[in-house]
Amino acid sequence: QEVDMQQQADNIRTVFSDPQNFNVKHPLYSPWTLWFDSPATKGRNLPQTPMTSFPQTPLPQTPGGLAAQGWMEDIKRVISFDSVEEFWGLHNNIVPPSQLPQKANYYLFKEGIIPAWEDEANKNGGKWSIQLPKDKNRLNIDKMWLYTMLAAIGETCDPLLDGEGDQQPQSLITGVIVSTRPQFYRLSIWTRTAPAGSGTPEDEKLRDRIEAIGKHFKMSVLGYSEGQKLAGPLATEVEFLSHKDSEKKGKQAKKIVV
Amino acid sequence: SGTKGLIQPPLPSALATARIIEDISEISYPEGIKSPQVELNVNAKQGKFRYDRDFLLQFMAVCKEKPDSLPPLDAIGLEPSDQHFTMSRGGSGR
Repeated sequence: QEVDMQQQADNIRTVFSDPQNFNVKHPLYSPWTLWFDSPATKGRNLPQTPMTSFPQTPLPQTPGGLAAQGWMEDIKRVISFDSVEEFWGLHNNIVPPSQLPQKANYYLFKEGIIPAWEDEANKNGGKWSIQLPKDKNRLNIDKMWLYTMLAAIGETCDPLLDGEGDQQPQSLITGVIVSTRPQFYRLSIWTRTAPAGSGTPEDEKLRDRIEAIGKHFKMSVLGYSEGQKLAGPLATEVEFLSHKDSEKKGKQAKKIVV
Repeated sequence: SGTKGLIQPPLPSALATARIIEDISEISYPEGIKSPQVELNVNAKQGKFRYDRDFLLQFMAVCKEKPDSLPPLDAIGLEPSDQHFTMSRGGSGR
């Protein structure tokens, strides 16, 4: 019996026991796609050859989907992956946010969800985001982005995923974004739904769940303490805004701050 | 540029041929490597696992190989900005 166990253990080789010839890999909860855009990808006819071998994401054939098509033209799909090992292979061979040109964005979204609010999975949702002055965070941003991605692919952001019987509720996270701007960085976590502020018990429950994601983002991912004030010149608190409210350009926007 | 002389490995990479772990609890890791937090996968369905950050970070130093499906970055306009260049043009407010 013991020999069998030993044999079985010998047959399973993770990347830790054999980095060259491992035979098992760690699947992610969901497959993910990384997208990128910058001024260099806009309005330029980039050679498509390397991309033709990849399946393109079908855009939803809805009015929103068509509107998103224009937005998506300049956004380049980098890679899709579904294992921990592939994620690190990608991470170790790509440009970190601190070295991106200005006005660039990485979008890491679940496969099949395009990084636009028009997507079915995003249109009723919103985003937690924080804006960080570039000068003070040039040395931090790569780690903050890495930790944000790890929380996303590891699915540790959404507390409701903690086992409740047989049910595994759908994760509220659809994607994460890092943006570089001339004077600041922005990190965002996009959610599938957003509380309406109607005050119904269901809406309150959703608000609690969304707030828990925000708190996890602020404290566990970004490393700030609870109640720490972050706003300042070029800096914001960790704040949530529904995509519908974002459209209103701040007029009646109901922000949640943690 | 720079990537042109790259030679592809002749054999499919371990990454491409490795199979998906179906039961995370049956995996034993070498000494010094932490298993994923058990609480995260109490009711995990086959192949759908959650991983804590400390577990994931352990892969950083081992998984260095470029995935086969990563296109040449310059072909999609993804290149590091020349910090010196942008700064000398006064682009950064540093």
